[in-house]
Amino acid sequence: MSGLFDTLSVIILLTSFVLVANKRIKSYIKTFRIQSAFIALAAGIMGIQSITSEGRIDVLVVCFVIVVLKVIYIPKLLNRTYSGVEYKVEKDFILNIPILVLICCGLVVFTHFCIASIDGISQGYNDLQIINSVSVVMIGLFFMISRKKAIGQIIGFLVLENGIFITAMFATDGMPFIVDMGIFIDMLTAVMIMGIMVYQISDKFDTINIDKLNKLKG
Amino acid sequence: MGFLLLVIPLISVLLFFLVKKRLFLHVISLTASGLMMMIALPLAGDVIAKGTVEYAHYGGFFYLDSLSIIVLDIVLLIGFFAAIYSVQYLEVDVRRGKLDFGKVRLYYILMQLFLFTMILALTVKNMGIMWIAIEATTLASVFLVGFHNDRYALEAAWKYVIICSVGIAVAMLGIIFLHLSSIGVLESRELLQWTALMENAGRLNDSTARLAFIFILVGFGTKAGLAPMHTWLPDAHSQAPAPISALLSGVLLNSAMYGIIRMAAVVNKSLGSSIYTGRLLMAMGMLSIVIAAVFILTQKDYKRLLAYSSIEHMGIIAVAIGFFTPLSLFGGLLHMINHSLTKSMLFLCSGSLLQKFETKQIPRIKGVLKMLPFSGTAFLFGLFAIAGMPPFSVFASELGILMSVFNEGSYIIGAVLAILFVIVFAGIATAMFRIFYGSNENKDLEPGEENIPGTLIIMTLLVIIGITGLWMPDPIIELIHQAQSIISGV
Repeated sequence: MSGLFDTLSVIILLTSFVLVANKRIKSYIKTFRIQSAFIALAAGIMGIQSITSEGRIDVLVVCFVIVVLKVIYIPKLLNRTYSGVEYKVEKDFILNIPILVLICCGLVVFTHFCIASIDGISQGYNDLQIINSVSVVMIGLFFMISRKKAIGQIIGFLVLENGIFITAMFATDGMPFIVDMGIFIDMLTAVMIMGIMVYQISDKFDTINIDKLNKLKG
Repeated sequence: MGFLLLVIPLISVLLFFLVKKRLFLHVISLTASGLMMMIALPLAGDVIAKGTVEYAHYGGFFYLDSLSIIVLDIVLLIGFFAAIYSVQYLEVDVRRGKLDFGKVRLYYILMQLFLFTMILALTVKNMGIMWIAIEATTLASVFLVGFHNDRYALEAAWKYVIICSVGIAVAMLGIIFLHLSSIGVLESRELLQWTALMENAGRLNDSTARLAFIFILVGFGTKAGLAPMHTWLPDAHSQAPAPISALLSGVLLNSAMYGIIRMAAVVNKSLGSSIYTGRLLMAMGMLSIVIAAVFILTQKDYKRLLAYSSIEHMGIIAVAIGFFTPLSLFGGLLHMINHSLTKSMLFLCSGSLLQKFETKQIPRIKGVLKMLPFSGTAFLFGLFAIAGMPPFSVFASELGILMSVFNEGSYIIGAVLAILFVIVFAGIATAMFRIFYGSNENKDLEPGEENIPGTLIIMTLLVIIGITGLWMPDPIIELIHQAQSIISGV
């Protein structure tokens, strides 16, 4: 079974590479949706396992919440926000895409060395999954600083959150149930607040380019 | 009784939705904050007598010990003061046509939610729920930071929500690794519970716990305003309305620091020494003090100056926690109390200044003592206090921390700290003291206080920080001693 989860973690990592290579905001949202679907798949398989072996239903509930929130609701919300503040397509990234992808490869290698040097982290669990999921966190962070548009930053934040979620899932078989639910509620509120702020920024600054937010210094 | 602390803010939020008059909004806010304070202060007595306050309901999530009651009582005390100050502060803005009923209601709703999230963070023993609550503090306060809704406020709010959310997400990774280090050690119902982690600290997986500490330090450190993740702090503190700045600086930073302290306690006990966490905390703390000192020297905006001073004091507390000796822990906890009271008083004064002169630029203000006889005087004394002058309380705790550093034989760190204190003092003195004298160019301004209840609050705080600098009440000393032994795990 761990071979299947290894594969899934690699696929999830690949989707974050695809995200970095995306050029348009619409495709960011699509990629995020695909990534979340794979995470839901992994959670679903784990949920069925835990029902058959221990009779625990909570992982399956988490899987259901992921589908509703991350695959359906949040992408829809982002699409609506984006169409509300739509501007003509312009260059949104600070470096060329090939360079960005290369940097992301570097991040994965870096994560590999860091995690591999910690003894005891892989007791009984598969190292590859942790490396891949922490890499997703790193790429999410990097994506946030490589894009200039506010929505790009929100997507980066969501991918980072996805990475943290799969780290929790692969490394520890999930956090205590109430903590998982709390994280979802927090994340949903955060995205809604950021969405409202995108409207306000576009209203006051006539753009959603974050590098125009440069009044406060010193 | 303790549960009421979590219920009252939520009930008051519901009531805010029901009322139609501004007067009732003020009354509800004052009643709720006053009630919470009256419940929380006696709880401190229970904690001194019994050590902890725990209830068995709902899986026993509610947990208070001396460490959390110290921070909690500061939250509710300053929350109450800020609520009193807000009444006239908002009324003045309403009279000037800047706010309407809806905005005032939004302000109060978010303020009570903000208090609720901080109370929740301080009263749970599950580290995961504590994380959720600390993340929720950001979400509750974003629109308070962006309350004035102009370009500056919006920029500050965007930076605040993005930087703090990412920081807190990193802390989540730390919580996951902490959870990972305890798998196989804890039973499933005690997972992530601080008390259980502390009891079984010796059996946690060392290297995973180290990794967890780094992530949590960076994550909660972002929220606590430690350099180099402090960049949101001066923006948010300078753009928020004054009572909110007082809450952000006086209590939010403490709540985040509280998370770091809890984590450091577990990891230190697990590793058997404080060298690892100590070095990290000291490095970040010293860096914060240096950066704050540099920016204070060149500051032109008085609210930003106060914000950088908060970064400095959080750095001092981090250094004190880093040393992890009984004396330095005592000094650090005392400093948390003193800094909160002094800084929130200063931010409340800055609100009176802003409403009088309608500018945050230091060079454009003159004759504060003449224009604002009471809050201006308090501002002057408060600046002396925050810069570390005797007889105020900040001096006492800074001296305590310096002494503990020298006692440990770290002469270089001690000397650098002392020099930095002097630089900060010089920075505050040269930047600020020119605003107090002279006469204002704008002849239309009438001298006198507009916010009478607010001025009373400011004077109360001034008296408190003056007296506690010379004499600390015994129950507080006892609480700090208990908290110190909880942290050191003996």
